[in-house]
Amino acid sequence: MMKSFLQYLGIEPERYQMAWISGSEGQKFADVMTHVVDEVKKVGPNRKLREEHE
Amino acid sequence: MNDFTNKAREIAKRLLADGTVSVVLGWEKGDEPYASAPTAITELAEVDRLIIDEYCIHEIAALLTDYRDGTDKVAIFAKGCDVRGIIRMIQDRVIPRERLHIIGINCPGMKDPNEYARAASGFGKAPAAEIAAKCQVCQNPNPFIYDEIIGDLQKVEPSNERFASVEEIEKMTPDERYNFFAQELSKCIRCYACRNACVACNCRTCIFDESKPQWVGRSTDTVNNMLYHIIRATHVAGRCVECGECERVCPVGIPLMLLNRKLVKDVDELFGPYQAGLSLEDDAIPPLSRYRVDDPDEFM
Repeated sequence: MMKSFLQYLGIEPERYQMAWISGSEGQKFADVMTHVVDEVKKVGPNRKLREEHE
Repeated sequence: MNDFTNKAREIAKRLLADGTVSVVLGWEKGDEPYASAPTAITELAEVDRLIIDEYCIHEIAALLTDYRDGTDKVAIFAKGCDVRGIIRMIQDRVIPRERLHIIGINCPGMKDPNEYARAASGFGKAPAAEIAAKCQVCQNPNPFIYDEIIGDLQKVEPSNERFASVEEIEKMTPDERYNFFAQELSKCIRCYACRNACVACNCRTCIFDESKPQWVGRSTDTVNNMLYHIIRATHVAGRCVECGECERVCPVGIPLMLLNRKLVKDVDELFGPYQAGLSLEDDAIPPLSRYRVDDPDEFM
């Protein structure tokens, strides 16, 4: 729902990801993180919801 | 409407005189004909302040947060939309049903005080229609939970326009949507009127009032405004009773229901059909406030 809401506000849904990872699932954590970074790299730098600094 | 006022005073007198309730929540006359305002009456001598006229558009159930502590009974005059607000308060455990004496008003639709105020100021146009836009498409003019009722049952014109405005926005491109909302929300002056008027915003301590930690910046820049409205909308997701008060009380005219309706629509599609505040039964608890094994995974 959060994802769909952010999408509605025009924010790329890839930037917001959520996953359940137990403390014992180290490999899963690494995989999810790599996946998040890959996805975010694909959509490029974020301009939205940021203060505009010169 | 005069008839409503007389009946209301009669009922209020009876309830206060025989000690059934210690306070009556209703409306009183304002400084201008269109400025009727919610009020609380505790003394028998003050009952004649009570009125019900065509400007009683306010979601009066929001006043119930003032009576959450205590054991006294509270009488409340309630239109159909107010009853949905009252159910919100009961389900959110602000006040138990036993402490309420609900006097239902079969509501013929109210005028929008803002429009009439603008027209009277000389700077605005005459109101486009006799009754407020939200009342024209109202699906619940008749209270469905009450202890006593005044007025005649109103006919309901079925309407499918509930999500029309949301679908309009969904048709835009992501950048158009972002620019639209950024522009609208940049107007926000963070007066928190939307929160204060909201029946779903009934937390004792609001996240936006906390200063340690301060979750959202207090400055009125576009980013902090957007974060405020995103968080508020998600906090009331699934609990919003669609009274439209946030949008009506907004002093800068931000179309806030576009945010709330989107979440109403998503809850309705994922968990629904669901409409908040229509029933006190156990299965009518807001979907995001309960757990079921078959809840859809996309809830996040």
